[in-house]
Amino acid sequence: MKFYLLIVFFLLINALSAQTTISGTVKAQKDGTLPGANIYLKGTYDGTSSDVNGRFSFKTQKSGTHILVIEFLGYEPFAKEINLTGIEINLLIELKETFSKLDAVTITAGTFEAGDKKQANTLTSLDMITTAGAAGDVFGALRTLPGTTTNGESGRLFVKGGDSEESQTYIDGALVHTPYISTAPNTATRGRFNPFMFKGTIFSTGGYSAEYGQALSSVLLLNTNDMPTQDQLDISVLSIGPELAGTKLWGSGAVTATLTYNNLQPYMNLVPQNFEWKKAPESTAAAISIRQKTGKTGMLKVYASFDDGNFRLAQEDLDQDKMIDFALGNRNTFVNTSYRTAINKNWSAATSASFTADADDVTFDGNQFDKELKGFHLKQTISNELNEKVTLRGGGEWFSRSVEQTYQSPTDTFVNQYDNNTFAAFAEAEMYASKRFVTRVGARVEHSSYLKTTNFAPRLTAAWKMDETSQFSMAWGWFHQNPNDDFLIYTSKLDYERADHYTLSYQSAKNGRTLRTEVYLKDYRNLVKQNSDEFFLPESYNNKGSGYAAGLDIFWRDKKSIKNGDYWISYSYLDTKRDYRRYPELAVPTFASKHNLSVVYKHWFGKLRSLASVNYVYSSPRVYNNPNSEKFNGEKTLAYQSLDISWSFLYRQNIIFYGAVTNVPGFKQEFGRRFSDQPDQNGLFKSAAIVPGSDRFYVIAILITLTKKGTENQLDKIQ
Amino acid sequence: MKTTFITLIITLITLTGFSQKPEYYQAMGESLGQYANCKTPEDFQALGNRFGMIANNEKEEWLPLYYHAHCYIIMSFMEPSDAKKKDSYLDVAEKSLKQLETMVPTEAEVFALQAMLYTARLVVNPMERGQQYSMLTAQSLGRASALDPSNPRAKLLKIQNDMGSARYFGKDPKEFCGQAADLLAGWDSFVPKSQLHPAWGKDQAEELVKSCK
Repeated sequence: MKFYLLIVFFLLINALSAQTTISGTVKAQKDGTLPGANIYLKGTYDGTSSDVNGRFSFKTQKSGTHILVIEFLGYEPFAKEINLTGIEINLLIELKETFSKLDAVTITAGTFEAGDKKQANTLTSLDMITTAGAAGDVFGALRTLPGTTTNGESGRLFVKGGDSEESQTYIDGALVHTPYISTAPNTATRGRFNPFMFKGTIFSTGGYSAEYGQALSSVLLLNTNDMPTQDQLDISVLSIGPELAGTKLWGSGAVTATLTYNNLQPYMNLVPQNFEWKKAPESTAAAISIRQKTGKTGMLKVYASFDDGNFRLAQEDLDQDKMIDFALGNRNTFVNTSYRTAINKNWSAATSASFTADADDVTFDGNQFDKELKGFHLKQTISNELNEKVTLRGGGEWFSRSVEQTYQSPTDTFVNQYDNNTFAAFAEAEMYASKRFVTRVGARVEHSSYLKTTNFAPRLTAAWKMDETSQFSMAWGWFHQNPNDDFLIYTSKLDYERADHYTLSYQSAKNGRTLRTEVYLKDYRNLVKQNSDEFFLPESYNNKGSGYAAGLDIFWRDKKSIKNGDYWISYSYLDTKRDYRRYPELAVPTFASKHNLSVVYKHWFGKLRSLASVNYVYSSPRVYNNPNSEKFNGEKTLAYQSLDISWSFLYRQNIIFYGAVTNVPGFKQEFGRRFSDQPDQNGLFKSAAIVPGSDRFYVIAILITLTKKGTENQLDKIQ
Repeated sequence: MKTTFITLIITLITLTGFSQKPEYYQAMGESLGQYANCKTPEDFQALGNRFGMIANNEKEEWLPLYYHAHCYIIMSFMEPSDAKKKDSYLDVAEKSLKQLETMVPTEAEVFALQAMLYTARLVVNPMERGQQYSMLTAQSLGRASALDPSNPRAKLLKIQNDMGSARYFGKDPKEFCGQAADLLAGWDSFVPKSQLHPAWGKDQAEELVKSCK
């Protein structure tokens, strides 16, 4: 009896006597108190959460040595051994922020990233599609970003005072040799690729990583979609032709086949054209895209497309004073494959390869001009995450390019060609000193079999995050590129062209609003100069050209202030001169304009189930050369202005109507003048204005998606 | 007399924690009782923390993890504007849900909660995430109802989503009112496996029915 009582007594003691109060305050090392931290004794049910002031207090019946744990989202967990004796314990605890690359500083100098990552983006893939004026062209959407100059007669990307050929496009890591479709001289081109193919885009307007070479001004990195999620059939009928796309899934893979036919004839019958078309542009394209998962982390992507297009139009020959026919046929075959996989926890590898065969057949006034390009690119990269703060990357590349130009006049035939293999290797290290400071150091070496020279390019970028919302970045590097095909077919005695970039950028992103400002300087050297009119002689070329570009870019995006509205404004100031090609002196190049402004506004009308978009673009006058004048590049074009609108209407969940018009007010657009090659008997060169193909461009489309469930749509395409 | 003492001792032994399970039941019971008192995100964080602590103690129990994820998903819905915060709460919930998926791969409640997580991800940015996350939500709800066609929470989320997307696409959400009424009428016929098993959602079903009037 007594024995039992004793036990009861001890148990009661155990239960009642040793009550200890644990209290204190939880603080963050930098940002003050932390409310809502989780505080508990390890292995027990005793604990609490901190209040708004970071204070906490709880009682425990436990005694002896225990471990007190304090946890808070985004901070390193804290653990401390405490001895519970019944005496109150009071603690001041400071938690350290955890290191996570997701919310750590990122390098933003010169880079616009778009994709479905969770961080605030400057421009998402969706924006690329819905922006009025872009009309579904990737490059058109990029022209609403600062650092770009609109050249209406070209349609290509001109970045920070760079010529269009200084920009390169990569798909899943492999080079795209011919990103633009072939057009007539002085008419705007478009990208070859459907923007719906891509889930993410990185547009770097300078200071890019050592992984990318052979580009003096910018690289555009397009990443294709991963696995589709269901079988479906997409039918699109546009005012310029139909497109059919079918997707079929199997266990660990999927295939999408696309067939597109475009013919502008019916459209041109309705809308007045400024050109005298003999045969409207017509093209047929077939593409197939395959996705296959391998193992746990591997993904193989294959994309192959074949494209055939042609047109014929009459252009005035200023020398002969008559209309001559200009006909173009283009065949393009493109294959892109990539494979990436994680080797183990720290190592991963990616292989990408692309092949392009492109043939342009041009006929004008009884002359035949053919250009054949065969391009190949193979790239292997390997990266090693040494620890959470240091990543090493390296790799090798092989670029092969073979160009043959044939010129056939009624009396003569000239064939010029060259083959070049460029081999490159690169290595870089990305190092986080803390969540707030990161540097990336890298270098690249390239050797060209044709030029027989080697270049070395160091690159350095750093970024510093001042607080949760704002950060500074800087980038510096040397960038090289092989001279243009037009020179290399005549000579191999040239060196790489080179540009040195210096970029300083500030970004602040808060609550759906982003502000970016960037100042940069580009120092061009070794540009190819042509010192005589005898373009076919190797000795006409040297690398004595040079130039500079300096500017200020401002980007403002605000998704918050207007309900259901979203707008962004880009402004670029550009000061550039160069002495290259056949320039007699240092002069402003014809593709540069001093002020560029783009304003995009989008609004979602819920009741009307519609998304409307407006885009206004202004480019200050550019220069052009008038051979009748003493001053080189002394004349000015009109300022360029356009106001474009688009409207998407969701009729049913799987049927969308889409309409877009460019240059609604009909601003007069003129891109300078072209001149005759020879002066007339009065010693004057004759000229004609360079104008767009039509004053306005209209698109209407119906997009239909068919699935088993019948509810999916192409909303992500145009909304 | 002797037996009374033995009973008392056993009771006391139980109370002082020689066995962990009663403590588990007590802690869970208390915490589940707290749901009714939670008004602010901070309240839900404190409650979620509590479930997290229980989960740390009871590695083989899935319910604490379930409620831990549930609290963090609610926090994301309650956060007014900071998208980064919303996602960081959902990251926490997703981690617990991943564990749950391997712990109890045939539990319908887990997939219903997963659907709720994906809907919360979608809500952060419907324009950009609509396509991807509506698909994922539908997949999770499909798995939940395949595992247990009678699960009322899977049904509730499905009706809520259908009504939401009807509203977004300018259609009449009332087309789903019949389903909502059926759900509410049959709500109590679903009997949770235990006192601690998920039972939430009836008030939301009532709200749906009310919105139809």
